[in-house]
Amino acid sequence: MDVFLQQVVNGLTLGSLYAVVALGYTMVYGIIQLINFAHGEVVMFGAMISLSVISAAAGSNLPPLAIILAGVLVAIPACMALGYFLERIAYRPLRRAPRLAPLITAIGMSIVLQQVAMMLWSRNILAFPQILPMVVYELAGASISALQIAIIGICFAMMAGLALLIYRTRLGAAMRATAENPEIARLMGVDVDRVIAATFVIGAGLAAVAGLMVGLYYGLAHYMMGATLGMKAFSAAVLGGIGNIPGAMVGGLLLGLVEALGAGYIGDLTDLCQYGTLSAMLETRCADGGNVVLFGSNYQDVFAFVVLILVLVFRPSGLLGERVADRA
Amino acid sequence: MLAVMDLQVHYGGIAAVKGVSFAVEKGETVALIGANGAGKTSTLKALARLLAGYVTTGSIRLAGEEISTLAPHQLIGKGLALVPEGRGVFARLSVAENLTMGAYSRHDKSEIAADLAHIYDLLPRLKERQRQLAGTLSGGEQQMLALGRALMGRPSLLLLDEPSMGLAPLMVQKVFETIRAVAATGVTILLVEQNAKLALETAGRGYVMESGRITLADSAAGLLADPRVRQAYLGE
Ligand SMILES: Nc1ncnc2c1ncn2[C@@H]1O[C@H](COP(=O)(O)OP(=O)(O)OP(=O)(O)O)[C@@H](O)[C@H]1O
Ligand SMILES: [Mg+2]
Repeated sequence: MDVFLQQVVNGLTLGSLYAVVALGYTMVYGIIQLINFAHGEVVMFGAMISLSVISAAAGSNLPPLAIILAGVLVAIPACMALGYFLERIAYRPLRRAPRLAPLITAIGMSIVLQQVAMMLWSRNILAFPQILPMVVYELAGASISALQIAIIGICFAMMAGLALLIYRTRLGAAMRATAENPEIARLMGVDVDRVIAATFVIGAGLAAVAGLMVGLYYGLAHYMMGATLGMKAFSAAVLGGIGNIPGAMVGGLLLGLVEALGAGYIGDLTDLCQYGTLSAMLETRCADGGNVVLFGSNYQDVFAFVVLILVLVFRPSGLLGERVADRA
Repeated sequence: MLAVMDLQVHYGGIAAVKGVSFAVEKGETVALIGANGAGKTSTLKALARLLAGYVTTGSIRLAGEEISTLAPHQLIGKGLALVPEGRGVFARLSVAENLTMGAYSRHDKSEIAADLAHIYDLLPRLKERQRQLAGTLSGGEQQMLALGRALMGRPSLLLLDEPSMGLAPLMVQKVFETIRAVAATGVTILLVEQNAKLALETAGRGYVMESGRITLADSAAGLLADPRVRQAYLGE
């Protein structure tokens, strides 16, 4: 097995999911300079809602793809409504408030949504019904599953669709104009409140699809799953330059790759048996082909935050961002 | 066309506009001149309903309709466009996208295309640079773009806030030529300027604003001849 290629495949899968979620953070930040900490919870709701629909329909003799489609078709509008609700109820009343207020509200909403999900779906880790047959292809020494191909394909299609929306449509132009100067956008006749609401709704729609795919990929869902995922996607958005649409895409993919490659190699790199001659004790423990690994692949989650810290220290405006530090 | 009655603007405790009343008739170009901080920009912003976060009182009638209760994005549909102080072009949108944003409130696609062609005729520099990001234009070109963008909304009343600000003399001449050309097409203009001479040479009538109040109102020729104006604003 080719570890490198395998981890690239895994990293692309993860990374395209991060990218889609990161877009939700970056679009909202770009337009109202708010870090919507509750966005990860919208992804979680997407996973939970589609899990419920899929579980309910799993007994029927519908084809698996139709069941999954049904799940996502319920999850998308539900999450869009949730995104709209968040903006309307929690953030809009604070549009003119000092910036800390909506930020704290966002954290509050994220906790509220976690608790609501816990009440609705229990505090247990739920198994995502595995109704899709596991199909795996071999590719130059690495294996790639049909699900991974679908995830990568759908994420890229959604990113392309979003790019078209933002750079080629009237709504997209209004979003970019509002992001740059809401007051002037108003003078052009842009209903800024509606554009901001649309931004939340679009981000939430993407989050719903991402939630379903994350659930299918890991085979489980949990009311706290949005917290880690959200922080990683947020790190990806910061890595690309928060507020910058292509930046979120690049940042997401890069973060996924860093994580997967890191997880793939960290065991080997921190295997103390490479330095077996340093101590007699190590020598005996490594003698019969054993190894003494300092950090295993369970350290995968650390990479996102290492990347986040490095970016904040060395390039706070992110890879593609230009004008962030003063506004963050 | 425009009738303003007892307009007041308060920023917190600061009264910037202390009850001004004036009118602009259809087809006129009217100048509003005054020193720094007189409240000119505040007046225009209040007309464009951009001061919703502050206390503004008074009546603003546009073509007989009270507009002081409308949301700012509804005004362009009523025919009111503001070219703001400092131009306010969307720096990260292309020149063409900026112009298209000007027509955001319209839905007559073929007419919009015709107007765009017309703007490019009027301002050929913009045509050469239509794919360029607006932020990369020179100050004068940005002023032209801001003007062209406002015209794309087919306003009946155009509010201009210091179009000459920060421009070299030659460019100022060009901008004002364009303003006169626009006025000649029948657009009503309310022109705010520091450059009182230029403004009064362009307008038919004028108002002088001093610390939040209108202190003089006369024909442009009358104001140009008024010793108080000559002393305070024409540097004589
Ligand atoms: N957002 C604001 N908050 C508080 N005070 C303000 C605000 N905007 C303007 N002011 C104050 O209101 C007064 C009028 O300002 P305004 O910008 O209307 O003047 P102006 O006549 O346009 O001046 P200039 O010729 O320098 O552009 C000034 O004293 C200014 O400091
Ligand atoms: Mg001013």
